[in-house]
Amino acid sequence: MVQSILGGKGRVWGYGGIIVLILLPLFLPRFYIYLTSLILLYGLFATSLNFALGYGGIYQFHHAVFYGVGAYGAALVITKTGLSPWLGFIVGPLASALLSFVMGLICIRLSKLYFGMLQISLGSLVWAVIYRWYGLTGGDDGIHGIPMPDIIATPNSAYYFTLIVTAASLFVIHRMIKSPFGSALQGVRDNAVRSEMIGVNVKRHQLAALVIAGFFAGVSGALFVVVDTTVFPDMLFWTFSMEVMIMCLLGGWFTFMGPMLGAALIVLLRTFISTFTVYWALFLGLILMFVIFFLPDGVLGFFQKKMKQKN
Amino acid sequence: MLQVKALTKTFGGFKAVKDVDLNVKKGEIVAVIGPNGAGKTTLFNLITGILKPDSGQVFFRDQDITGLPPYVICKKGMTRSFQIVNVFQRLSVFENVQISVMSREGKTWNLFTPSKKLLIEDTDRILDSVGLLGKRENISGALSHGDRKVLEIAMALGGNPEFLILDEPTAGMAPEETERCIELIKQLSDKMGLTILFCEHDMELVFSISERIMVMVRGSTIIQGSCEEVRCNEAVQDAYLGGSDVCLM
Amino acid sequence: MDFIYSFISPGFLSQILVGLSRTVILFIVASGLSLILGVLRIPNVFHGSLYMIGAFMSYTISVAFGGGDTGFWLALIGAPIGVALISLVIERGLFQYLYEREHLMLILFTFAISLVFGDLVKLVWGAEYKSVPVPQVFQGFVSLFGGLPFPKYNTFLLFMGPVVAFALWLLVTKTKMGKISQAAAVDREMVGAVGINVSWVFATVFVIGCLLAGLGGALVAPTVSVTLGMDHSLIMEGFLIVIIGGLGNIWGALLGALIFGLTQSLGILIWPQFGIVFPYCAVIVVLLIRPTGLLKSTW
Repeated sequence: MVQSILGGKGRVWGYGGIIVLILLPLFLPRFYIYLTSLILLYGLFATSLNFALGYGGIYQFHHAVFYGVGAYGAALVITKTGLSPWLGFIVGPLASALLSFVMGLICIRLSKLYFGMLQISLGSLVWAVIYRWYGLTGGDDGIHGIPMPDIIATPNSAYYFTLIVTAASLFVIHRMIKSPFGSALQGVRDNAVRSEMIGVNVKRHQLAALVIAGFFAGVSGALFVVVDTTVFPDMLFWTFSMEVMIMCLLGGWFTFMGPMLGAALIVLLRTFISTFTVYWALFLGLILMFVIFFLPDGVLGFFQKKMKQKN
Repeated sequence: MLQVKALTKTFGGFKAVKDVDLNVKKGEIVAVIGPNGAGKTTLFNLITGILKPDSGQVFFRDQDITGLPPYVICKKGMTRSFQIVNVFQRLSVFENVQISVMSREGKTWNLFTPSKKLLIEDTDRILDSVGLLGKRENISGALSHGDRKVLEIAMALGGNPEFLILDEPTAGMAPEETERCIELIKQLSDKMGLTILFCEHDMELVFSISERIMVMVRGSTIIQGSCEEVRCNEAVQDAYLGGSDVCLM
Repeated sequence: MDFIYSFISPGFLSQILVGLSRTVILFIVASGLSLILGVLRIPNVFHGSLYMIGAFMSYTISVAFGGGDTGFWLALIGAPIGVALISLVIERGLFQYLYEREHLMLILFTFAISLVFGDLVKLVWGAEYKSVPVPQVFQGFVSLFGGLPFPKYNTFLLFMGPVVAFALWLLVTKTKMGKISQAAAVDREMVGAVGINVSWVFATVFVIGCLLAGLGGALVAPTVSVTLGMDHSLIMEGFLIVIIGGLGNIWGALLGALIFGLTQSLGILIWPQFGIVFPYCAVIVVLLIRPTGLLKSTW
């Protein structure tokens, strides 16, 4: 998977990276393990967005809804029913996929920007319901201290669980991007009219891409429940959707590992900057402006271009 | 093979295409000519389903295809190229054509087989036939204008059509590229037996390869006939060719 | 019978008036948003920030003049102008270089500015609640329908709504600028081709749109506690209004604001806990029936 990003050396980098990630808990303190887990699951979240946005060219403006619904789905199954938590981890993403399908069905007939705006409004409805339904969702307090099965209850085991699920998900997403479906999807992104004219049913492919993206956003949401044992309504507030778009943009839209890199940069920068100022949003805004003006292809995209020029 | 009956399309009061009739028989090469804004591209958009006509009908192989979406029409064996270059910018030449071939084979719903292993030979054969095989790995957005126009045709061929519509295939091409393109169109007709409907500004091209010509002015057909008939028709000369009183060429 | 009576009860009617005063604020802000969307095609996320800044500025001006009537009127004029100046700097300094970029980049860029503004407001005004005094003339209540009190200031808002709508109508249909901008919304190249400086048309429209956000903020300031975060909830409402009205259509914005304001205020009456959900449901109902909004969009 990494090969396609870094060329021949990719495989070495990839295996090296995975080994480092596996060994990480041996020498990093607890807080950094927690942070790395967050990076992984945000990275998966951003990658799922990039599947629809970067590869599919669909204006998925409110992706956080599917992340939040995945998390709430898992949390509610665990806290409100007597069922197995593992079932919750399956129900959450499936709920996201279903919601994604329904919202997609409503939005897909509209043109690009209208699609995005309508999606924001539908997503805000979901947010409003979760925000207000104290009886079920805990309202603006959210749900805290969600019990986890023993095997993933410690920070390290939660980390390994996140690592495995993220790696498996990325593998599947990468596989899909490289499949005929992925090719057709990229064709639709580059030129929808042309795609129709070579026999591709554009809307149906886009809808499928939305469902897939929604599902993996749900997976990352469920992983957040594992790592943080909380859910709260801000997880599906629209500003978070913007933040995850920033992750994709910062790392690079048209690269596979870009969103993961973007997530890592954002999480690390936030942690670092927050140690000496409360004005993190100001920095994020400035970083974003800088990227839009000077690095429109993102960090990874920038280096890819440089490498191509060298060759 | 293709029958267009009284096709009409209005954009906010402006009749872009009015009452156009057109017949194309199997194996023919038919040209549509006319000044800019005559409605040629609109006509092609109506035939291929990108636009829906206000009235009139389109029959393809005796089936009514009026108002069907483009992807359905494509599956029936009619594909087209575009006047403004319309390729998948960020993908390689090979991938551009491969998607078209995969679509024909109904493989675009395959989620897990790597594309790399699929339909290589079919795709390469098409690239070879249009002379783009040497550039198969190039990113299509970085190709020369002429190559992109040819890629357009290659993508249309990926659908394995019987009927091909070309919207100004040589527009903006250098002279030698144009010659290559004319050669290509002739081959498509002779060797592959394709029926071709095209529009073009280059009169030399039109008269050298088409069997019949339709002239459109301001949305209407003024004449449909053989090259000879069109060349010497007074109305055509008045309306389109600038009113010279000698036969062209 | 009781049921029907409950609908014409004084409580219900005064709630409608509350909804209408909310409509005025929403309309003023959303019409600016819609103007910018229609002509410049930018979904301006920091429109909400400008509304917030308008409210904070009006606090500062009002306090600077001792919190009296003079302060209020000066704030009502000064805050929108201040906001307009800020937007002019942003448009000329940053935005004009980005018009050719994709919508996605534009929306992210406006979001970046809203992030910066959010923190700048925190830096300048602090994180505490601010309250702007209601001017003497509008203090107190008028009694309506059987003695129910209705804030005098809200009657002022109800008066301002039509005034702004009329001014906008004049601006868009009667001035040269308005006509050019309407034409530019439909066909940019054409307007550029006839020798009009499109760049400055865009700047003007942008500034007017932002001025409306500032005006909304200044008008709303005496009725709410001015606080951080008022930008985020408002911008979402603004977008929804613009969508159901039809992108770029300012009369659509009026209609959308009406639907939004009324469903909001009546929703609270009908089902307090989920009052917030009603406008969103209205949006979905509208869009299911008319996917591109109630009135003709300029897109």
